[in-house]
This record gives sequence, C-alpha cells and structure tokens, in this order.
Amino acid sequence: MSKKLVVVLLVMLVLVGAMGLKTLVTAHADGLVMMAAGGAPAPPTPYKAGGAPAPPTPYRAGGAPAPPTPY
Amino acid sequence: MPGPFAYIIWLVNILCEIAVVVCAFRKETLRRYFLLILYMVGLVASDIGRYKILAEYGLSSKQYQYFYYYSDSVVTIFLFFALSTLYSHVFSELNAESYVKMGTVLLLAGTALFTYSVVAQSSAKLVTNFVIQLSQNLYFVGLVLTYVLWGAILKLRETRTRLIQLVLSLGVYFSLIAANYAIRNLYPSLSTVFVPLVQVFATFLPLAWAYAFWRLPEEARLSPARLAVIPR
Repeated sequence: MSKKLVVVLLVMLVLVGAMGLKTLVTAHADGLVMMAAGGAPAPPTPYKAGGAPAPPTPYRAGGAPAPPTPY
Repeated sequence: MPGPFAYIIWLVNILCEIAVVVCAFRKETLRRYFLLILYMVGLVASDIGRYKILAEYGLSSKQYQYFYYYSDSVVTIFLFFALSTLYSHVFSELNAESYVKMGTVLLLAGTALFTYSVVAQSSAKLVTNFVIQLSQNLYFVGLVLTYVLWGAILKLRETRTRLIQLVLSLGVYFSLIAANYAIRNLYPSLSTVFVPLVQVFATFLPLAWAYAFWRLPEEARLSPARLAVIPR
C-alpha cells in the first residue's frame, strides 16, 4: 500500500514540476503553440481567429489593481 | 505554402523515422521496444496524412490546422507511453513494472484532468483547445519524466548502452524543443529563424534512435564510471 502511495506522490510531484516548468517557459507566450511531433511545417493554431497581431492584455495597462474575473 | 527547405527537411525526417522502424525490425527488437516503434509508426502515418492534406488544402487551411494539431496530440500520447516503456526497462530489475504502469495511467489521467480544468475556463472551441493544450502539457510532463529517468539511470548505475542512448537522445530532443519554444516566446522577432529550426530538431530523435538500434547491440554495456563520478 505504501508503495502505491509513493507512486501517487511521485506522479503529483512530476505533474506539479511539469506545469511549473510550462508556466516558466510560457511566461511571455502570446498564443504560440509548441510543435513537438514530426517535421511537418506548422500551421497557425485553429483557435486563433484571424492573422492580426495580438494586442497587449488589458489587465497589464496602468497600475490600478485588477478587478475580479466576471465568471 | 512551405518552401523547398521545409520540404527537404520534412522528407529527411520521414526517412529517419522509417529507418528507426526498419532498424528495429532488422535487429529483432520490435517486441522489446514495441511502444517506441509504435510511436515512430504513428509519426510516419501522421506525416503522410499531413503531407496529403497540405498538398490538397494548403498550410493555412482549416483541414490542415485541425489534422496537424489533433495528430500531434495522438502522437504525443504515443510518445508518453514510449517513455513509460523506457521506465519499465530501467526498473525491470526492481520488479516495479506494475507500479510504472500505475504511474503512467495516473499521470496521463492527472494531466488530462488538469488540462480540462484550465481549458474549461474558456468556452470557445473547447475540444480543439483541450487537444492542443493536452499535447503541450504532456510534452512538459515528458520532459520532466526524461530528466527523472536520467537521474534514476545514474543512481542505479545502469549500464545498457542502447537504453542509455535512447533516454539521452530523448532528453536532448525535449530540451532542444523546449529551449527553442522559450526563445521564440522571449524574442518573437526571431521566429523566422527558430520556427524552421523545430523541423531540424525533429530529425534528431529518429536519427539518434536509428543509430541506437542499428549500431548498438542489446548486449553492449557502458562502465558506470563513464556516466558519472561517484565519490567513494
């Protein structure tokens, strides 16, 4: 039983580490997607409508505290 | 449409992937490294499908976009299972195969759950967003798992040369792609240089694995002293 708990603990540690690393790497991301598998030329992501450059996020403008999210 | 350089690199990439399957078949290691070979077969199949759709509809078409990212997700799941095979081989002497399987399923389920909980916040194109983000998250999980496996190899003084080559090449591949992605995010103006580099990096893994299957026999061993200096 304890070995199974160790496996669960390790899984959680790896997951936390991986997501932390992802947050670190994508800190300056603006919708870029990492292409990992295969050597095919990458298309734009399907959920980015249009080809216009992304504007700065509204909550970074000014020094006022950010309001709570509406949802 | 992509330029001739992209097509040439892509062709080399497909040839390297086929070479891995052929080398594994010729050296009779198909059963031993079945999931690794399945990953390579998945890559070849997705590349052929991508080429067909790209030629028919074009790079910016919805068909190519969806096929590219959905196939990328499937292949990344194959890669995740291939990595679990390497774990099984490294921990085979500890009889920990059932724990590795349990960890693999838990980690996949945990990553999918985490991805869904993040993606569910945005209602637009939920499934597509989920598929792309799952692929990204699994990629980072794979990166961390590879480094953990390398630590285990050093700790257990693993000596099987082919296994070490397979794990190390996977680590280098993950690191190259992650570094490229980070640089592209930090310096978007350099994207014209670093986006094509992804294609070049993608050829590294099949090339290294083909070498491992073709040149390194299963019985080949490395002395532990050549991997790490361990104080007495």
